[in-house]
Amino acid sequence: MEPYRAAVTSDCEKLLSRFHETDSVRFQVFSKIWREMNFSQIFYGTVNHQKRAFSRLILDSAYSFFLPPFSFQIRVGGLYLLYSLHQSQTAAPPEQIRLALKDWEDVKKFEKDAMDAQHLDAIYILRQLMLKKAFHFTAMPTHLAFKKLRKKEVPALCEKFIERACRPQEFINNDLLEELSNIHELYGNLKSSVSETSKESSVNLIRQDLIPRLRRTVVDFHNWQHRKGDSEEEEGSGEGASSQQDCSRRAGLIASIKSKAYGEAPEARRSRRHRQVEVDITSSVAGTWKSPAYIRRKIASLRVRTNESLHVSDDMHKGVASASKITHLTSLGFAAEDTPNRLNGGKDRIRVPS
Amino acid sequence: MATSTDTKTNIPDYEYLDVNTNIFHIDAFRSEWLNRLQPSDFSFQEEDQETSDAHFAAEMGISAETMDELKSACSLDSLRCHPEDQPPDPEVVPPDPTLKTLVQRKKKQDHKATLKSSKNRHDLYADELERLTFGTRPEAVTDMIPEGEIILTMNIYYPATFEKFSHVRPHLTLLMTGSHTLAELRDAICCVSDLQVCGEFSNTPDMAPDFISKDHFKSSFFYFEGVFYNDMRYPECQDISITTIEWARDRNFPPYTQAKMEDTRFVDLKVKVGFPYLYCHQGDCEHLVIITDIRLTHKNDCLDKKLYPLLTHKHRVVTTKCAVCHIYIGRWLTTNDQFAPSNPCTFCEKCFRMLHYDTEGEKLGEFQAFPYVDRGAFN
Repeated sequence: MEPYRAAVTSDCEKLLSRFHETDSVRFQVFSKIWREMNFSQIFYGTVNHQKRAFSRLILDSAYSFFLPPFSFQIRVGGLYLLYSLHQSQTAAPPEQIRLALKDWEDVKKFEKDAMDAQHLDAIYILRQLMLKKAFHFTAMPTHLAFKKLRKKEVPALCEKFIERACRPQEFINNDLLEELSNIHELYGNLKSSVSETSKESSVNLIRQDLIPRLRRTVVDFHNWQHRKGDSEEEEGSGEGASSQQDCSRRAGLIASIKSKAYGEAPEARRSRRHRQVEVDITSSVAGTWKSPAYIRRKIASLRVRTNESLHVSDDMHKGVASASKITHLTSLGFAAEDTPNRLNGGKDRIRVPS
Repeated sequence: MATSTDTKTNIPDYEYLDVNTNIFHIDAFRSEWLNRLQPSDFSFQEEDQETSDAHFAAEMGISAETMDELKSACSLDSLRCHPEDQPPDPEVVPPDPTLKTLVQRKKKQDHKATLKSSKNRHDLYADELERLTFGTRPEAVTDMIPEGEIILTMNIYYPATFEKFSHVRPHLTLLMTGSHTLAELRDAICCVSDLQVCGEFSNTPDMAPDFISKDHFKSSFFYFEGVFYNDMRYPECQDISITTIEWARDRNFPPYTQAKMEDTRFVDLKVKVGFPYLYCHQGDCEHLVIITDIRLTHKNDCLDKKLYPLLTHKHRVVTTKCAVCHIYIGRWLTTNDQFAPSNPCTFCEKCFRMLHYDTEGEKLGEFQAFPYVDRGAFN
């Protein structure tokens, strides 16, 4: 079942991103997209004994969209997706949705948010799932069997679905700024009243432009967020439209980024390559979502490499030439090591007569 | 072990992402869930749709028309992707799929069709064990599993063989309830080293005793989180964990404690989900034990107490066949055998007798013979 994981996730993301574009939380909108995409068919054609395993896989994938860090709208979509998948699965006995204890608070908070906003269909569907006993109340969202992977594939998080941080703007509003400027003024007056008697410069240390600066920073942050969001959206639309121009523009952009990246990376000498530090991302335990892990380039087997370097008759010369190049690889190193020696030698030769 | 009152520590979370959880007390975990849920949430009774809808309408303060509208908006019919009168065949991948999963599945099936068919009848019955007990209700009410009981999924791995590396981790999976003792788990684990008969019987093959190792050597222990749980049910049981404990004490390891297997229920344990623990029996037959899942019971589970511990998965081991007929599983193992093609060599009962004994039952030639139980004898 594991090979299907990537495809299943991308299908779910496709569905949810279409739902995201509508900016709606209505179930009718969701079911319309579901019908348009023929999403029920995702269960069709599974071999009998794999039906349960597939149901398990897709429910687990969908479950992650129902939880933070996704925005409320995506979580509603995730809930609808869970409901629809659970109800239309073909496995018998049906698989249940695994709800972990640590996620319960999030679910309750979600229900409350929906309640406050009077999203009746979201609450109704959550209740419907409860009523139909669609949940397993578990310790963990998946079965754990101490499967340690040498390199872990961390699923790339769909950035579009995540809510942008808006806490700074919420926190630093007009009221707060006014209050702050008041306090600031009072504080300044107090300081000046003290420093009248003693003309020490250290007491005068207050930032005059604190309030405007704070405001400017928040506005800058807000603008930056918008700019970032816009550029992302542009890229998204570029993917959708398949016009030649767009594609070539994108290709050019990618190529330039790549050439920059490779050009700048200092390549270690071959003899030293084994000592390069590999950043081991997998060992860090931090949050669930991390940047895409470092993926090791796959090295071809010895036979393949031998076949590549060995050529028949006509290519013989080339083969020999390329093989002998191995010595050239270290020539730079030799030169570097040689130079100081020769210099030293020169000095010695000079010194000897004196 | 007293129930920990610290609520924070008994909510399982990852210790290492996707590998195992932190340590928590199982009974405290259960009460954490029960505190959060309404009794109806984990009840085995299905609530009536009508009353629930009425409840919902009353709670939200909406009229009957709005409720009807809502119901029709959220109905499952709105998810149907095909005309009502022509249901598609869910057994085949639909033609011209757009979903990536279906594209991949179609590719895989097309590829499989080109291969020589290797029909494996075992695959057909892969989760039959689980399916058979789906929603089973007991005959007697007293055998009913109470609502809100804990169900643990245990993986018991076969002893490791390091002859070659393989990605397959052969194991059997058992479902246990929280009120089971560790001794009940011990009895449910089926391992061939419990069934072997010790001794050489080439002179008197008919005299081979029926006593298996399990009857002779009853000692065993589980190890969970710093505690050795010994089996002390029978007078001949020994404390075989003391060797390890003393060894560790002499070398300044953190102290280990002991408890009795038969007195310890699962709900009393403090464990990490997904973390490997140990079951050791017959002196040195060591199995890894991993608790892969802990959850509340569900109305679809097997609810008959008598059927637990419930076996849901068993690995199929390749069996060693008789060297003569290649049909039956080996029952005798011979060494230094002048009739055998290899040393050691396995024979089934019939071929062994025909090859090694004359019509009077007299032994022919020189060899040693040992009764043998194959690892895959109970597939």
